[in-house]
Amino acid sequence: MVPSLGNITLWLSLLFAIFQLIISHKKNFYSVLQFNKIAVNGLLLCSLVSFFSLMYCHIVSDFSVINVFQNSHTTKPLLYKVSGVWGNHEGSMLLWILVLTIFNYFIFKLYNQKNIIFISKTLETQAIITIGFLLFTILTSNPFDRMTTSHINGLGFNPLLQDPALAIHPPLLYIGYVGFSAAFSLSVAAMSISIEEKIPWYSYLKPFVLAAWIFLSAGIAFGSIWAYYELGWGGWWFWDPVENASFMPWLLGTALVHSLITVEKRKSLQSWVLLLSILSFLLSIIGTFLVRSGILTSVHTFALDPARGIYILTFVALLGGYSLILFGLKSKNFLNRHYFSFFSREGSILVNNIIMIVVCASVFLGTIYPLLVEVFSDNKISVGEPYFNSVTIPIMMPAILVMGMGPMLSWGKADIVGILTKSLPSILLAILISSIFFWVYRSYNMLGLVGIILAFWIMSNILLIIVRQLIIKNREIKHETIPKYSSGMIVAHFGIALLILGITGSSIWQKEKIIRMKVNDETSIHNYNIIFKEISEVTGPNYVALQGNFWVYNNKKNIITKLKPENRFYPVTNNTTTEASIHTNLSRDLYLVLGDGDVNRGWIVRIYYNPLVVWIWIGAFAIFLGGLFSMKNNFKKLKHLSI
Amino acid sequence: MQRILLAILVYLVTSQIVAINCYSVEPDEFLQNPKKELRARNISKNIRCLICQNQSIDESSALLAKDLRILIRKKIEHGNSDEEIYDFLTERYGDFILLNPPFKISTLFLWILPFVFLTAGFFVIFLHNNKSKKLDYNK
Amino acid sequence: MKKGILISPIILFFLILFVFFYLLIIDRNPSELTSMLINKKVPAFEAKLLLENKTFISTDEFGNETTLVNFFATWCKPCRDEHPYLKKLSNEQGLKIIGINYKDDSKRAIKWLKKLGNPYSNILIDPNARLGIDWGVYGLPETFIVNSNGVIKYRLVGPISKKNYDAFVLKVKEVEK
Repeated sequence: MVPSLGNITLWLSLLFAIFQLIISHKKNFYSVLQFNKIAVNGLLLCSLVSFFSLMYCHIVSDFSVINVFQNSHTTKPLLYKVSGVWGNHEGSMLLWILVLTIFNYFIFKLYNQKNIIFISKTLETQAIITIGFLLFTILTSNPFDRMTTSHINGLGFNPLLQDPALAIHPPLLYIGYVGFSAAFSLSVAAMSISIEEKIPWYSYLKPFVLAAWIFLSAGIAFGSIWAYYELGWGGWWFWDPVENASFMPWLLGTALVHSLITVEKRKSLQSWVLLLSILSFLLSIIGTFLVRSGILTSVHTFALDPARGIYILTFVALLGGYSLILFGLKSKNFLNRHYFSFFSREGSILVNNIIMIVVCASVFLGTIYPLLVEVFSDNKISVGEPYFNSVTIPIMMPAILVMGMGPMLSWGKADIVGILTKSLPSILLAILISSIFFWVYRSYNMLGLVGIILAFWIMSNILLIIVRQLIIKNREIKHETIPKYSSGMIVAHFGIALLILGITGSSIWQKEKIIRMKVNDETSIHNYNIIFKEISEVTGPNYVALQGNFWVYNNKKNIITKLKPENRFYPVTNNTTTEASIHTNLSRDLYLVLGDGDVNRGWIVRIYYNPLVVWIWIGAFAIFLGGLFSMKNNFKKLKHLSI
Repeated sequence: MQRILLAILVYLVTSQIVAINCYSVEPDEFLQNPKKELRARNISKNIRCLICQNQSIDESSALLAKDLRILIRKKIEHGNSDEEIYDFLTERYGDFILLNPPFKISTLFLWILPFVFLTAGFFVIFLHNNKSKKLDYNK
Repeated sequence: MKKGILISPIILFFLILFVFFYLLIIDRNPSELTSMLINKKVPAFEAKLLLENKTFISTDEFGNETTLVNFFATWCKPCRDEHPYLKKLSNEQGLKIIGINYKDDSKRAIKWLKKLGNPYSNILIDPNARLGIDWGVYGLPETFIVNSNGVIKYRLVGPISKKNYDAFVLKVKEVEK
């Protein structure tokens, strides 16, 4: 009964979406509003019911539904039965649709006396996107298809996916992607309406872009957190095609956020905003395509089906073609003659845009290059981590340099002397802190040096900005030329600095030790002594595991922690996983993995000393927080518009 | 005694070779000479595991990965250069086995284009700067 | 000039989509590799035989007739599945099949063949994967078609099964011409 309910509401959603598309054309403003109210609410309600129907089926283990049979099992803990709803292709599409309808609702809420045509046009475009996703799901990936045979239990679920970080990773990403779709629709609407309307379309765009960007950042962060904690290499980024698929929209999103700030303040870079909105959205969908069509091999690919790939590709071609042609025709209406100097705030944002786009293009090139080679030659090559690292890191560096100085530059004009005087304290501070850092750690490495200095360069600039703000507040001087620094920017930029600190520390100064240990053997890494105390068998809710107990001592012979890595065996799916045991503090992670072995020969043990890793996650959280602050400020402004 | 199979990290299991009792590079494989061992690790990190295709053979638990790791170390002991070892592998498995794509005619664009993009980017900024110098609309 | 800047992204966009489209339509396996040995002569080698105390010398055995080379192991389940089809190829088509026992236990292999039957004219052992690596083997089972001049013409990665048996026989006939 419930699966049928889910299926019916799915079809109903499609009807409501088509309804929304049709009525957004109407000219009678009053009826458009009323009918859209019905459409938007209907869509939201139906997709909610559909989604929760599927969730219900998973929770009660209704194995008559193919989706539940293939992906669930009665022994799965409840949390993972729930997250299992979106941990597969069909269910994830349902989640995507739900988020689409929620954003659709938010767009609807933007209606006011002045923007009826604009919002209607936005809702029209959004309806097309929603219809596309609904048709795709209903026709090729319907989660409510029923089994022809009956089974007592399902095929279980990959134990690697039973993890809290991985549970939250897809919803965060989809909020990101759907946010970009809203930005896309708003941009298309902005280009479609006449210039006389004078709609501040960029003000409407900002909250959606911010939301998209921060949730995409969080989604990527949780994906990396999962990889770090679950996969056992102490690594958190592999330049795998699926990771690249989420990273590329993020890069363009960064450029987009900054361009929007420029548009708000100075009305320039408008056509950049439009183009970046279009491209971010297209890249999100193309990323989806790469992952779900089977065209590439990746650690994460699921739902390998060329038919689905063709559908998505057609969808992308239509939307992309239409929007890019529209951009080609209309972008001249958005040109702004406020030219700015290279050494101005806009100049720094422009440099940032260029670098983000170049990095994005390079990552895209590296990801699809093997495909191009395959089509145009007999050869087959692969592009892996070394390529991406050697290309993206050098190109990113100037962006980080500019990022430090950018917030202090004034809008419009260049004041080179002023810039130098302003940045001198931060340069000195950065050098000072870096020197202290290296005096403490005494480990020198060219790339590491650069990374640390860049991180502290940004932090110094931020610190000085905060100090200046406080001084001004205290003296209550009314300086009109001193820009008021946004709290969002301060926190988010600081987050990036922490991120760079963490990335540099954990990549450059990582120490690895691989040895064979018998019980009571002792080894050391960095300043720590590790004793292999015992090995035992433990039982979990749906697994049996071999657990090692390792006592870690510092150089003062005090015990720091007991690390207990496990090798788990899940009888249902016949899988084995290794669970690393990690001790975290602000300066380093101690990461221990138990390998194979036996009582006689001993066990292979892999120990990692990962300095500064935790700052990556803290930095990501700061970025998210900073974005939230900006969104809060932005909502205040938006309220003024809705009168 | 439970036979513990160790994690194959890829869901896409195309492999016909089952990983038995090994888990990435093992201490028993290590060469005595640390410089040579470092060479071996660095070469291994650049070779793609053909079974778990998004890992290097240094990390992979597949049987073929282990065989190749041992082969590389044998060749280093034998005195072969890095290039000779890479050539040996690409002769048999093709360029696909290299994680860092070689610099050939077919990969020319791959290596050149990022710099082309960057130059184009600078060009855009340069153009913009010129325009702003001509029309100086300062406030 | 301005128009060029605005049009080129659209063209590039559709070009890329075209490439994707093409790749989807053709029949390909993204994780499969083409053998580097195609159209090359069989690499000269010597190996011990499984069933006799003799050495197999490749230069004697290749270059006379169309020959199949099949890498297999007892611990490989698809090899077991493919076994009846190898027998079919050997009996019905009269093909000479050289089996290479890859990284296996010889005693187990002999038992395995006794139980399932022996489609091979010779069986070599490759305990250290030396032959496997020289032939670019990465996923068992793999079957190579070598023509009567000793040139490798085709490689199949994966088992011969009901699905691909007829296509494989066709391929052999092509090579024989």
